[in-house]
Parts: sequence; structure tokens; C-alpha cells
Amino acid sequence: MTASSLPGGQSARLRRLRRDYFGSPLAVLMTLLSAAVIAWIGWFLLDWGVIRATFGADGTQETCVAHGGACWSVIAVRWRVILFGIYPYEEQWRSALACVVVGVVILLSCLPRMWSFGRLALVWVLGTVIFYTLMRGGVLGLVPVNEQQWGGLPLTLFIFVATGIIGMPLAIGLALLRRSEYPVIARVTGWIIDTIRSLPLLSILFTCAIVLPFMLPGFLIGEKLYRVLFGAALFFAAYQAEIIRGGFQGIPKGQEEAAKALGLTYWHRTFRIVLPQAFRLALPATINQFVIAFMETSLIVVVGFMELLAAGNTAFKTGEWKFAYAEVYVFIAAIYFAFVFGLSRYGAYLEARMNVGHRKD
Amino acid sequence: MSAIARTNVMDLTAPAIEITDLNKYYGTFHALRSINLTVSKGEKVVVCGPSGSGKSTMIRCINQLEEHDSGAIRVFGTQLDDNLGSIDEIRREVGMVFQQFNLFPHMTVLENCTLAPMLVRKISRAEAEATAMRYLEKVRIPDQAQKFPGQLSGGQQQRVAIARALCMQPEILLFDEPTSALDPEMIAEVLDVMVTLAQEGMTMVCVTHEMGFARKVADRVIFMDKGEIIEEAPPEEFFGQPKSDRTRLFLSQVLGH
Repeated sequence: MTASSLPGGQSARLRRLRRDYFGSPLAVLMTLLSAAVIAWIGWFLLDWGVIRATFGADGTQETCVAHGGACWSVIAVRWRVILFGIYPYEEQWRSALACVVVGVVILLSCLPRMWSFGRLALVWVLGTVIFYTLMRGGVLGLVPVNEQQWGGLPLTLFIFVATGIIGMPLAIGLALLRRSEYPVIARVTGWIIDTIRSLPLLSILFTCAIVLPFMLPGFLIGEKLYRVLFGAALFFAAYQAEIIRGGFQGIPKGQEEAAKALGLTYWHRTFRIVLPQAFRLALPATINQFVIAFMETSLIVVVGFMELLAAGNTAFKTGEWKFAYAEVYVFIAAIYFAFVFGLSRYGAYLEARMNVGHRKD
Repeated sequence: MSAIARTNVMDLTAPAIEITDLNKYYGTFHALRSINLTVSKGEKVVVCGPSGSGKSTMIRCINQLEEHDSGAIRVFGTQLDDNLGSIDEIRREVGMVFQQFNLFPHMTVLENCTLAPMLVRKISRAEAEATAMRYLEKVRIPDQAQKFPGQLSGGQQQRVAIARALCMQPEILLFDEPTSALDPEMIAEVLDVMVTLAQEGMTMVCVTHEMGFARKVADRVIFMDKGEIIEEAPPEEFFGQPKSDRTRLFLSQVLGH
């Protein structure tokens, strides 16, 4: 086939490809070198992860070493510890179902047709009740399981979702107070935000888990998990409030003036005019903050909770699987990747969707 | 006149706008100096003057986008004071059109027009949309109702902004340099709409440099400089025999070429 027989667009693409990657001797060298590195890494992963790997629950250290590749048998044998931690073994179907519930609630909330206060509230309240009932038990003939025994994926998801659900309204509140027209309120809020941001998350989690019970009256102490969640949400809110403030600053002054001139009240101006535009401007940074929050769920292991990463660690701590840590980490990384990659793609979709109204065409 | 129930606090027999001894400072800068101005119902007043003369500041005080430091502003007898309720009342009856249009970019043209009537006047969506379409037809742009502001030209956006203000069915419309941000070929389409409104009896206060518009529709032209009202007169007199030197200088600058 000659170049002239190609359709115009395709030949232009070929030309551009040749110009960009093979335009000069240096470019040719760099292209070939990069291709070689990528091919080598790809081959290594394929060789290690698939060709010479051992699958199936009957693999042992001897068979794995003999094959020379990855030992996926550790996942086949220990996956329930990784996913559900120390949740009672016979009750782990409840953990699995709880994960599905969280997944469904998140997916439903992502659909634009669900974006009304009533529908979202219904989905979230219902989801939370089902999740809590399944995990905690004690009703409907379900064996009670203490929060201390929750673990693995459902715990990670629960912390992430709760951080966002509690943290986001807090962040909006803080951001609004920070731009209050009363200087005292604005300044005090600024100090609070800056103070929280200048503390490490670890110290906040420790304070909530260990120090707070000594300072609070008995009826306020509550379960450790919820205290820690509150700390994580507060930390999230301080950062997110600053992100929203950045969004506020990008809105032209005329927007609020036009809303005032139409007679809209403070709350209508805030929730119909200012916040929607602030969130559009702050969306990339907000998605970033959610990604960080998801990663930081692994920190709560330090106050004694066995979330996904910690549960994974215990999966290879028993003597017979000590050699297979890389496989467990790859497995956990894949789970994190699936969630965070999905989150970024959803962010990109939202950006494209919100840009529709702003594009001149 | 309108189907919408008024709050009945406004006294429609009182002067539409009554400004007495208004003063405004920005720090130590005296932006408005003892302004006195009365606008009757149905009157069209054009305010002109060099930039920085306080024209915009004055009309922005009427709906309290700027707070004044002393003096009184009454709109149909209701005095603007520290009582926040009076500000809300006055803003409901006083519409404003801005130099930069200030349409809400995240809403369609129709949503821009229905938002305030639904939230502030509490009318139903169906009624608000019917009203909005009526005013969008009036500004000759009904076919753009489902578009977003960013998809329209400047002249179209400004006409939507006028429709949005009209949808609240205000008694008074304030225009703050409505054509200053427009490309020359779009100025006429906006002025045409404003002329129509004037002919229909709307009470209007327009800050503008469009002297042709002033000649055509104004009952009174006001010239401001350095925060003061220097001269006010009907257009024939204002353009024919301006009394003050400053007015003459200004007119020679805007009409000179």
C-alpha cells in the first residue's frame, strides 16, 4: 500500500508521528531507547506475573520457587484476610455485601440524574443504614461485630467515604466563614484552618484516638473509630476549605453583585451562584484532595485499625507466606489503582461536562 | 400592572427615587459630594460625566451595591437604612443592567431569567418560564433560551441581562454603562431594546456615554464631575446651551469627533 492511497487524516497522522519521534538522529535514538526500556519492563512483568507464575491455592513455596515467577497462590489462599482483615471468618459475607453497598451508593451518586438533594439524601441515608447494619450486626439475627474487628476493604471504603461526607460540608462551612464580612469571624476561621493544616495528620489521629477520651465527658467519647473519623474529616476539611476559597477568588465580583441586584438572599446567592462556580473552578484540586484522602486511609493503622494495607501486611506475616510480600503488595496496589484511577477519570468527565456552558462555539 | 403580588410596602405615588444629601467616601477620597436627585415614576434620566466622576457609584448606592456614608435614599417612599429588610424590598423593585453583563455562566439563558422570580417572588416554574419567554421575545432572542451565556455574543448577552432584570418585573431599571463593553456593531441592538423600554414607560436611570440615546429618550440629562452633580437639564437644553464650562468641555470631548 502506498502512502497516497491512505485517507488524508491518517497520512497526516503518520507524517506527524514521523516528525515528532523520528525527526532528527537524537529523536530516533531517544525513541528507540524508550521503546527498548518499555519493552524490557513489559516483558519482565509478563514473564514474572504470568508466564512463570504459579496460580491456584495448591501452590507452595517450593513449587513457586521452582517456577521462578510470581506466587499468586498467596492471594488465592489469603485473599479473605487481605480483603476483610480480622472480621469473623463465617461472617465475612456481610463485609463483602457491605463493600457492594458502598460501591453501589458511590456509583449512583456519580450519575447526573441522581443529583437532587432528595435522591442523594435517600441513597446515602439508606446506604449508611444498610452498611452499618451489615457490619455492626446485633439486629435481624446478625451476630454483633465490634468496630475494632472491622477490617480490610470495607473499613478503608468506610473511612474514605465518611471522611468526604463529613469533611465536605465542614469544608464548605469553613470556607464560607472565612469569607464572612465580619472580620472577627473571618480571622478566627482563618486561624483554625491554618492550625489544623499545620498539624500532621498522624498527630490528629493520635489525639482523637488516645488523648480525646481523657478530655471529653463520658457520654461524648464514643467509639474510637468515630473519633478517628472525625479527626480525619477535620483534616480533610481544612485543606478542602482552602481549595474552595481558591475557587471563590476566581469568580468575578460582578456575579455576586448581579445576584444581589436581583434580590437573592445570602443563602441563595451562596448556594445557587457562588458555590457552583467555585466548585467548577476548584474541581481539579478537589479531585486531587479526594485521591490524597483515599491514600491516607492507610494511616489509621497506627491507632489500631486493620484497613486494607494493614490487613495485607498480616496476610504474609505467617511463616509459610513470608517470601510472597511482593505479590500481596501488587494485589493491594491494583485495588488502590482501580479506585483512584476511576476517581480521576470521573473528575475528567465532570470537568468536560461542566465546561460545556463555558465553551464558546 | 403586573400579575405578581407586591409586598404592598412600596408607595407607588411617592417619587420613584429620592436622594438627599448623599455622601460617600472611599477611605479619604470623597466619591460622592452632597448628591440630591429626584426621579419620578416613568421618568428617564441619563447620567454622564468623565470616568471617576461618581456616576456608577451613585446608581450603585440606589440598590446598595455600595453603602453610602451619609444622606438618605428613598425608593417609592421606602427609606434605605440599616434595616436589612428595606434593602431586600428595594432590590426586588429595582433591576440593574451591568457593563459586564454578569450573566450566571453555569445556567442557561432561561435559567438565568427564571432563578430570581422563582426564589424571590416565589412563583411557579411554569409561570416563571412563561414570563421569561415573553421578555426574551421582547429583547428579540427567544431562540437562544436553552444556550449558555458563553455561547452568545456580547450584544446578545446584554439583551439577556436586560430580560433577566425585566423578569423580576421591577418598577425601576438602572443601567450602568450597558454598552461600554460591547463591540461597536452590537451597541445598536442593545440601545434599540432600551429605547423600546423607555417608550413603554419604564422608569430608567442610565449611566452612559451614548449621547444619541440621551437625546432620543431622556427626560433629563445629568452631568457629574468629581463626585458632584454639576448640571441637570432636559436634553435640548443640555446639548444646546450647557451652562457650565465643565459640561461644555465634556460635551466637546464626547461629541467632538
